[in-house]
Amino acid sequence: MSDATVFIIDDDQAVARSLRWLIETVQLKVETFTSAQDFLDHYDADKPGCLVLDVRMPGMSGLELQERLTARRSYHPPIIFITGHGDVQMAVRAVQAGAFDFVEKPFNDQDLLDRIQKAITHDAGQRGKEEQRSQLKALFASLTPREREVLDHVVEGMSNKGIANALGLSAKTVEVHRAKVMEKLHARSLSDLVKMAMQNQAA
Amino acid sequence: MWLGAVALGGFLAVGLIAFVYVLLRLREEQQRVREKEAEHQGMLDRLQENENRLRAIIESEPECVKLQAADGTVLEINPAGLALVGAERPEDIIGRKIFTVVAPEYRDYYRENMRRVFEGESVVYEFKSITLKGRTAWMESHAVPLRDARGNIYALLGITRDITEHKWAEEQARRHQTELARVARLSTMGEMATGIAHELNQPLSAIANFARGCLRRLRGGEVACADLVVPLEEICQQAERAGEVMRHVRDFVRKRETRMTAVDINRVVRSAVKLTELESRQQYAHVSLHLAPEQPRVWADSIMIEQVICNLLRNSVEAMAEARSPHREVKVKTSRRDDETVEIEVSDTGPGIDGALIDQVFDQFFTTKPDGVGMGLSISRSIVESHGGHLRAESRAGCGTTFRFTLRAIGRTLATNERRYSLHH
Repeated sequence: MSDATVFIIDDDQAVARSLRWLIETVQLKVETFTSAQDFLDHYDADKPGCLVLDVRMPGMSGLELQERLTARRSYHPPIIFITGHGDVQMAVRAVQAGAFDFVEKPFNDQDLLDRIQKAITHDAGQRGKEEQRSQLKALFASLTPREREVLDHVVEGMSNKGIANALGLSAKTVEVHRAKVMEKLHARSLSDLVKMAMQNQAA
Repeated sequence: MWLGAVALGGFLAVGLIAFVYVLLRLREEQQRVREKEAEHQGMLDRLQENENRLRAIIESEPECVKLQAADGTVLEINPAGLALVGAERPEDIIGRKIFTVVAPEYRDYYRENMRRVFEGESVVYEFKSITLKGRTAWMESHAVPLRDARGNIYALLGITRDITEHKWAEEQARRHQTELARVARLSTMGEMATGIAHELNQPLSAIANFARGCLRRLRGGEVACADLVVPLEEICQQAERAGEVMRHVRDFVRKRETRMTAVDINRVVRSAVKLTELESRQQYAHVSLHLAPEQPRVWADSIMIEQVICNLLRNSVEAMAEARSPHREVKVKTSRRDDETVEIEVSDTGPGIDGALIDQVFDQFFTTKPDGVGMGLSISRSIVESHGGHLRAESRAGCGTTFRFTLRAIGRTLATNERRYSLHH
């Protein structure tokens, strides 16, 4: 978790610098951006961490940035919105649209740091799952089309004989394909295999 | 004997003739003197007549006519003048210095104008007077030099009238204007409150973050004093920034008389944009500045002109938000129109104003906003006009609206001065 970065996006440079000074007390890396566009142009999606984002900014607002990141359909780190006086409604909208959390100015330092830690933990968890998903995808991608067909039928609960009939193969051949699938997917049992297939479908 | 008698007779006759001749010459001489005297008397009479006539004109003149010496001594003054300065008898003012009835703060100015008259100029000047009866009045004097036969200036002839009422009406109009502007400013206070809260929240948040960052490091015990210098400096800076916001608010709200100074118009524009920044951001409008470098200064009340620009900016932002314009941009441009004029332009990408309505936008109580009062543009135009400029609107439905106003520039560029110089020589 020590390699997590807090991405601060705030057009007010003084506020951005002060957040950096505060957040660095908990040994987190900090990167600051002066606008939503600046962030989109320079941000590295592979870096774990979280975003701390001012709702109101000239140009692209914080909410718009969130929309843009969501529209990319790839994973983006959790967003903590900082809202000013009387912006709570906007913050609620942000959370409904998928923001991780929000803090209202003026905020308590511990409160903000706690939320940042939570967001980073959440991000790590999400990245872990994401990692698993992509590994699983890679494993499934190693199957031949025939093996894939056999697997689909196995998952549907058909017997080797049934599969052999359906595909016009000998039971012996189906047996060989099935063993190969188990081996390629590192599955130890039939239930393992079914679970993995369902996870892969969900991803 | 006979011969002797004849001689005597002849002698007597000659003597008689001579006597008569002398007598006749004497009478002639007397007659001539008498005629001369009569002629002289006629001249005197005519002079007297002339003087009487002039005096009658001056005495019956409804405005104050007076003669003054170079040191300000009143030499002569007509009855209207006596009444004006509040004198019961002529000796109350004649022989005394005119400055006894000039308000102290105007005495130097009065002296300066007198000096110019005695140098041969004709001048018109206004001054405040405190009459012998203690009444405060505004006066306007037209003064010309009076010369003797050799052309030397020996007195100032002044015609003065009381312009107190006129001044008062002018003052009332101006006060009314100031009051209107204040009301307008106050009515935008509500809108501004949110803006101020935001403007203050920013530096306060920064101060809190820096201070807490320092405390955390100090409590952790792993910090060198030198490392705290920069954040502490930041704290000071942000406190000053908050103070600046407050100063701005005070300037904005304070009831004040017009204060004309030499103003950098680009600075006023930036300040107005900053004041309305939050509203622009809330409505997702982008404000771009196109400021001409090296503008001459303008003669203006910066707070009032700032108010005008704020008004125009708000109108544009609100119009675009109201119309849900997809592209929301406000351009603020300053440019040099000619030697004497600087032009300020605020244009937007909003819905524009219908041609039939464009002439009405400056009317009082005309508004298109659901909760508008319709004073903003009316007051803006008054402010611009009180600066000797013009505020105009230009629009095509669907193509946005442009407001332009002009202000008088002060000080010309060197190049222009040279050109003028060469024209005269």
